[in-house]
Amino acid sequence: MKLLALGVDHRSAPAVIREALAFDERKCPEALDSLMSAFPGNEFVILSTCNRVEVYTAGTSENSPTAEHLTDFLAEFHSLPAAQFGGHLVSYHDEGAVGHLFRVAASLESLVLGEGQILGQVRDAYQAARERKSAGKILHEVFQNALRVGKRVRAETGMDQGRLSVASVAVDVARGIFDTFTDKTVLVIGAGKMGDLTLQHLKSLRPRQILITNRSPQRAEEAATKWGGQAVPFERLFQALIDADIVVSTTAATEPIVTYEQYARVQRARRNRLALILDIAIPRDFDPKIATLSDQVQLYNVDDLRQQAEENRKQRQKGVDPALLIIEQETAACYQLLHTQRETGAMLRQLSERYDLTVSRELDALFAAHPEFTPEQREAIAHVARRIVNQMLHHPRTALKSAAAEPAHEHPHSLLNAVRHLFGLADV
Amino acid sequence: MERLTLLCFGGTYALALVSELARFAVRSAARWYATVGLTALGWIVQTVYLANLARVHHKLPITTAFESLVMLSWIFAAIALYLMVRAAKPVAVGVFVLPLVLAPIVFAALLPASRRAEWGGETAFWGTVHGIFLLLGAVSSFVAVAAGFMYLAQSNRLKHKRPSRFGVALPSLEQSERVNREAITIAFPLLTFGLLIGVLLSLAVHPGAGAVPLSWSDPKILSTFVMWGVFAALLHFRYRPAYRGRSVMVLTIVAFTFLVFAWVGVEVLRLPTAHGVSRTVRRAS
Repeated sequence: MKLLALGVDHRSAPAVIREALAFDERKCPEALDSLMSAFPGNEFVILSTCNRVEVYTAGTSENSPTAEHLTDFLAEFHSLPAAQFGGHLVSYHDEGAVGHLFRVAASLESLVLGEGQILGQVRDAYQAARERKSAGKILHEVFQNALRVGKRVRAETGMDQGRLSVASVAVDVARGIFDTFTDKTVLVIGAGKMGDLTLQHLKSLRPRQILITNRSPQRAEEAATKWGGQAVPFERLFQALIDADIVVSTTAATEPIVTYEQYARVQRARRNRLALILDIAIPRDFDPKIATLSDQVQLYNVDDLRQQAEENRKQRQKGVDPALLIIEQETAACYQLLHTQRETGAMLRQLSERYDLTVSRELDALFAAHPEFTPEQREAIAHVARRIVNQMLHHPRTALKSAAAEPAHEHPHSLLNAVRHLFGLADV
Repeated sequence: MERLTLLCFGGTYALALVSELARFAVRSAARWYATVGLTALGWIVQTVYLANLARVHHKLPITTAFESLVMLSWIFAAIALYLMVRAAKPVAVGVFVLPLVLAPIVFAALLPASRRAEWGGETAFWGTVHGIFLLLGAVSSFVAVAAGFMYLAQSNRLKHKRPSRFGVALPSLEQSERVNREAITIAFPLLTFGLLIGVLLSLAVHPGAGAVPLSWSDPKILSTFVMWGVFAALLHFRYRPAYRGRSVMVLTIVAFTFLVFAWVGVEVLRLPTAHGVSRTVRRAS
C-alpha cells in the first residue's frame, strides 16, 4: 500500500503559485478523471483551497504514481513548466501523508489556527472524489478519519473557540451580555473602516434596528442605505443613545463626545437597561469612567477588544500540543487499520483461492475416477463440496473481517498470524 | 439509617460536583456525561428514598425540617438536571446549581430526622399546603439565587474584559437577569401564602392538652418574618431601575441566606422553638 500527498500551501508557496496550481469546481473533476486514466487502479482526492493545493493518492499496485509523476501531471494539466513550481512542492508519504491530512483537517496547518472552514473544504474535496469514483477504500478510510479527527481536536482542545479579529470579538462580547438580538437596537456613531467591520459582524446577529449618526448627514444617509439602517441627525445623538442597546462609536473627534455625566443621564432615561458600548475610536469617544457607572453598562474600547482577541489567539495556541498528541495517536491507529485491512483482504483472497483450487483438484480427480456421473450429478457434487468449504471457512472469514473493520481490535496481528499458520498461508 | 441514606445520594451529588468542577482542567465529552449521569443517579436514589418516606408515614415528606430539606434538595436536583441537559455542554450551569443541591442535604444531616409535626384533622391538609407553598417558594428562590450567581460571574468577567474560558461558558447577563426577575416574582407570593397559612395554623392551635402554640417571639417565627421582609425589599428593589444588576443579585443572595437561616438556622443552632412539634387544633364546636 502506498499513500502520497503532494502539493503547495501558504507556507511553501506564494499566492501566485497557489493560484496557478488551483483546481476550481470545473477543473477538479476533469483532473480527477485524467489522474484515473493515467494511473488506473489508484485512488485520488484533490484538496484545493485559497491556502493550499494538494493531491492525495493511494494504491496497492505497482503503477502507483510517484511524486515525480504527480509533478509532471500538475505541469501538464496547468500548462506550467515544472521548474516554475517544483521547488515549492511538499510531499508526504504513507503514515506521514495520513498525519498531514489530519493536521490539515484539524486546522493546524491553516493560516488562522482553529479556523472552521477547512473541515468543510476537506469534506467537499472527498465528496467530489466520491462523485467521480476516484476515492476508494483507502482514501475513504483516511478522509473519513480526517473529518472525525478534525472535529475531535476542536472539541477537546477548544481550538475553534473565541474570535481572533478585533471586529469579530465584539460579537462574543455582545453574546455575553444579550440573549436575543431581534429586539435590540444598534447605534453606529461616525464612519470608518473599523466601524464598518464591526457592524458587519454585529449585523449577523440580526438586530431589530440599526441607527446611524454622523456629523455629516450625507455620510449617515449613505451608511444607512448600505447597512439597511436608519440615519439619525447628529443633534439627536442622546435620544439615539437612549434607544440603543449596542453602541459602536468610531468618530474622529479629538475629545470624548459623551461624558460620564451625560451618559449617566442617558442610562437613567434607559431605566438602567443593559447596554454595550464599543468605543473603537482613537482618541476615545466615550469617557472611560462610564465603565464604572453600572454593571448594566459594559464599555469596551479598541484595546480591550484587541487584548481579548490576543488572549483568544493564545488560548488556541495552547491547544496545539494536545492536538498534536491526538493526531499522533489517531494517525498511528488509522495507518495500523489500513495495514490490517490490506493484510486481511489479501488473506481472505488467498484463503478463497487455495480452497477453490483444492476443491477443483479433488472434484477433477473424483470425476475422472467416475466417468459414469451425469453432468447434473457432477454439478450437485461440486455444489455440495463448495458449500462444505464455505461453511468451514465462515467463522475464520467473519473473525478476519471483524478484526479488519474494528480499529480498536486488541490483537489483529495475532489473529492474522494464527489464521496464516492454521491455514498454511503465505506472508502478505 | 437516614444519615447513611443521605450519604448515598449526597455523595453521588458530591461526585457529580467534582466531575463538574473538573471542566476547568479536563476537556472531554465524557466528563459532561459523568456529571449528568451521577446527578441522575443521585436523583433516582433520592426519589426512592422520599417515596419510601411517604409510604411509611402516609404523608408527603415535608412534615419535618429534615424531610423538607431533603425534598427541597430533590426538587433542586431535578431543576439542576434539566438545566444541565438543556444548556449547551460548555455552559457551566452545574458549577452554580450542584452546590445548591448539596447544601440542603448537608443541613438535613445536621438535623434530627424524627421530630415530626403531628398534624391531624383539619390541620393535616393546611399543614401540607403550608409546607408545599414554602417549599415551592424556596425552589423559586433557589433558581433566583443560581441566576444571581451566574449574573455576577458573567458581569465580573465582562468588567475585567476577560474572554470566556473554553468549556466554561456562562449565560448572558440578560438571560440571568430575566430568570432572576421571574423567579423572585414567583417566589414572593408563594412564601407569603405559605407563611400566612402557617400563621393561621398557629392561631388555630388549642393551648391545652399538651399542645404547644407558637409564640410571636419564637426564633423560628422571628427569623421567618425577617426573611419575608428581606424578600419584600428584594421585590421592591427588583422593580427600581437604579438597583438593576449587581445590587439586586447581591440582595437575592442575602434573601436566600435569610431563607436558609429561617429554614434550618434555628434547628442547627438548637435555639428553643415550638415549630414543628406536636400541636392540636381547636375544634369548632
